[in-house]
Amino acid sequence: MPTQLTHPIITALLSAGFGVFMLTSGCSGGNALDDRNEPVSGPTPPPPPSPPSPPPAPAPMGAFATEAGTSRFLTQATFGPSLEDVSALTGTNASNWFLAELEKPASLHTPQLAAYRAMIDNPDADFPVLAVQSSTFSFWRNAIEGDDQLRQRMAFALSQILVVSNFGGELLSDIPEPVVSYQDILVEGAFGNYRDLLEEVTYSPAMGYYLTYMGNQKADPATGRMPDENYAREILQLFTVGVVALQSDGEPVLENGKAVELYDNRDVTGLARVFTGLDLDGLDRQRFPSVADAVDEWEGLEQALLKPMAINDSLHSSDAKRFLDCDIPTGTPTAESIDLALDCIMAHPNVGPFVSRQLIQRFTTSNPDPDYVQRVASAFDSGAYLLPEGGRVGDGRKGDLTATLAAILFDPDVRAEAALSGSQFGKIREPLLRFTHWARAFDADASRPEYGIELFDLSDPMSLAQHPYRARSVFNFYRPGYIAPGTVSGAAGLTVPELQIVNATSTPGYINFMTFWTFGGQSMIPIEELEAELADMGVPLNRAALERAFVPDYSDELALANDATLLVDHLDRLLVYDSMSEETKAAITTTLEVQPVYGPGESAALINRVSLAVLLVMTSPDYLVQR
Amino acid sequence: MPNSRRDFIKALGIGALATTAFTAVPTTFTAHAADTSGYKALVCVFLFGGLDCHDLILPYDLPSYDQYARLRSPLLAQQGTARQRSSLLPLTPASDTVLQGRQVALPPEMPQLASLFRQNKAAIVGNVGPLVEPVTRANFESAAVRLPPRLFSHNDQQAVWQANQPEGAQYGWGGLFADAVLASGANAALPQFSTITTEDVGPFLTGRNAVPYRVSTAGSARVDFLEDYYEGVSGDRADLLRAVRDQMAARSYRGSHLLERDMAAAFSGGFETNEAYDIARQQGVSLPTSFPATPLGAQLRAVAETIGVRDRLLSSRQVFFVGLGGFDTHDAQARALPKLLSQIDGALGAFQTAMEALGLTRDVTLFTASDFGRTLAVNGDGTDHGWGGHQIVLGGAVKGGEIYGTLPPPVLGHDADSGGGRLIPSVAVDSYAAELGRWFGLSESELSSALPGLENFEPLPNRFI
Repeated sequence: MPTQLTHPIITALLSAGFGVFMLTSGCSGGNALDDRNEPVSGPTPPPPPSPPSPPPAPAPMGAFATEAGTSRFLTQATFGPSLEDVSALTGTNASNWFLAELEKPASLHTPQLAAYRAMIDNPDADFPVLAVQSSTFSFWRNAIEGDDQLRQRMAFALSQILVVSNFGGELLSDIPEPVVSYQDILVEGAFGNYRDLLEEVTYSPAMGYYLTYMGNQKADPATGRMPDENYAREILQLFTVGVVALQSDGEPVLENGKAVELYDNRDVTGLARVFTGLDLDGLDRQRFPSVADAVDEWEGLEQALLKPMAINDSLHSSDAKRFLDCDIPTGTPTAESIDLALDCIMAHPNVGPFVSRQLIQRFTTSNPDPDYVQRVASAFDSGAYLLPEGGRVGDGRKGDLTATLAAILFDPDVRAEAALSGSQFGKIREPLLRFTHWARAFDADASRPEYGIELFDLSDPMSLAQHPYRARSVFNFYRPGYIAPGTVSGAAGLTVPELQIVNATSTPGYINFMTFWTFGGQSMIPIEELEAELADMGVPLNRAALERAFVPDYSDELALANDATLLVDHLDRLLVYDSMSEETKAAITTTLEVQPVYGPGESAALINRVSLAVLLVMTSPDYLVQR
Repeated sequence: MPNSRRDFIKALGIGALATTAFTAVPTTFTAHAADTSGYKALVCVFLFGGLDCHDLILPYDLPSYDQYARLRSPLLAQQGTARQRSSLLPLTPASDTVLQGRQVALPPEMPQLASLFRQNKAAIVGNVGPLVEPVTRANFESAAVRLPPRLFSHNDQQAVWQANQPEGAQYGWGGLFADAVLASGANAALPQFSTITTEDVGPFLTGRNAVPYRVSTAGSARVDFLEDYYEGVSGDRADLLRAVRDQMAARSYRGSHLLERDMAAAFSGGFETNEAYDIARQQGVSLPTSFPATPLGAQLRAVAETIGVRDRLLSSRQVFFVGLGGFDTHDAQARALPKLLSQIDGALGAFQTAMEALGLTRDVTLFTASDFGRTLAVNGDGTDHGWGGHQIVLGGAVKGGEIYGTLPPPVLGHDADSGGGRLIPSVAVDSYAAELGRWFGLSESELSSALPGLENFEPLPNRFI
């Protein structure tokens, strides 16, 4: 996607909306925004002012004791809370919520791909966006609208450790089947066992292609050909043990002040022999030496990409495979070699703290205290966790992800008031999660994600620098060990992965992106233009659905908008679990009051005030860091 | 209308900007101060993923070529004429010190580089890589030598190349070079333009004072919401937009949370630096050179345009970083790598043309870096992670038309082979960097301080710049 200073849609938005924004106070009618401010097309106009009075707070107990507590927990555990979620759950038992989430049926991606494929009129179109972008569409739908929030959030966390990506512009970008079926591996495995997940990942065409062991063969002494080392290296370095020996709390083991490296290249070449003999099921390598050659030439390609890779023992290395403390004997066939290798890697003591620390970083805090890592790693290793209000999760096998996740979310230090009021606990909200949070908080309709053209690619720093399943490399959007140079957190030695994508391009990029959505930008583009652009890409049109797509429902906010102080208090509760500083609230309130509004009849001015208020809250440091 | 935006920035006060951002910069000269006269820029072209050095510099004399063609036959078979000996672009260095009778060539995708080499504007530095101390095959195999940490690992070797430490490193030599010239009074008015990147840079451009400024290839990133304000709107709207700008720039933030403070600083610094950069670029002249519409072309164009407004940015020493990914060619190398080599060639050629148009060719030096080289052995459809690799240096100050370092023969098992044709480097990154830093103006003591490993290596026998 070409990078340009201002997207045409933003330009359209600017001319249609912001000009009006500057001019509407005290005027009425006769401008673009007012014309579009009908119930079907714009942000919802203010209802009669009758805000429901909240029920009296129940006696404090557990993670859901207070509205703020519930909201904070759901911020950590889901794609963003709404006021409805918060009021429904406050006063209930958080452990029961967790257990109920485990039982919810999984929202899958593959059936959505099939539905999109069926919607395509012209399968020979150069850019069948419905297929190519299917992994993105189903991601937004599941993240924003899925009922199985904890499962989807866990799958997203896992997707940032077990990384595959359709960034590169090759097979995984052109054909959606491998990444979409990989999404389902993570969704279905989110509450399973890490060892089982590794096996599914190993056999997946997405990983096989991404880390280049699809079609990998045993060594050929005649030509000097060696097995591809890519997956062998990264399954150790990125997916399971890292590079240096770890204590059970995730801190490096030091000898004479230096970290102890776990393996060298001999281990990698040893393990590389394990990942030989796997290939796309049914692919004729005589006809298609490279998988890319089969695109458009082999009609079985898409189906094969949905299935685990097939084994060809004749191409599998029969040499002994030695790595770490593992020794797989000469002559062991493919499936058994992979089984033994994964068992042996999983048995390594690094796996618990290595995986646990990274999962913690995806949910609660960037620089976890070693004791916290140790408690979570202990749940990972024992495969069991006792919930605070009773109830046991996990089947007792090392690598149980439900026990690990419960240990992350219910950790006493995380839930303690000290975490919220401290100066280090927390994480920068991932840009993508800020957007899903906005969509869920304001009930923006994500049922037709293919209408959100602005969401097709967010990987550029001029946008969010983060797009689901579209990292720049297997090293994810940012590294778990990233310490940002030149920052106060860096000076304190804190790992803060998300700071790796914060810079002078991505900060205005995020502001511009959120400006578009908070001001209901989608609804301000002339509908005919939007329809024409979508039609060009072969997206079937439904005007009523298009007019609803991603338009926020600000009705609660509009009811308060005459009073900037009340409005900001409300947004603090909704978006920041009542934790914004008084200074920030006061500054936003003052800014909003620069533009006066004159009574409930001035709907355009009120909508502008609400939109600006949401934007200023969501670009404030208080919001950007989830504590 | 165009002037009103400029007036706004002027009203904002570039001078005030300079004093708010970099208060820690010492401006006193020391006995070993860097030379900061005139203008000089270093441009690092980082090739992410590990460029296959064996496909950048190819053997050309018949016996060497035949050895190479045998080892690389699975790849060469897929490349048609592109790797046939007759298609290659031979390099004829001025001296025979490195090759000793052998001949080498560039791939046919790099005609501009071949031409720049012939014009003595480009040189090759062979077998450069991270080292702690000199390594031989014997002491490598007997583990009797200190080695760089986490060899063959992408992220770690990128960090080691840039900052002499694995992932988590804080200070890179580009940033430390900038620190040295800042300490000698360069760029005093606008120090934030000392280190500029168009990509996710890693630690390379970070010093104790220098912090990389990220620019987009489309120019400075503007906040759409404030467009009217930049254009000079007045009255109530101006009041509102000024308040919004201050709020978005986190002017009111007073909290103590470390991450929040970092985000406040990033938003605030981003606004101020972008606005200053934007005004400088609007006043600048456009380049006559056209750059290829490729990722690397766009990035080097942004660098050239920034160099074009160096006076507006009040900068006399700058370090730039651009990056291109895709070099991790474990698979499909025969298809993927030629396109990347062609992209490098087009972008470097245009950059050199642009520097000549600006009359700056002797003042700007471009150099390449990459995670590592790759195996000479083939893994079926590609190659695996190596260690030493060959680098390109380009510019009027370069002693071009020459090959430096070493170019081991295209066979397995020679003295610089750590296994599979992963080259044991003969030129340490520290030595390579020191040449560039000395040219940039650093004193010997400043070089030692920026490159603490330098003392473990003899000076290069021939200086490439």
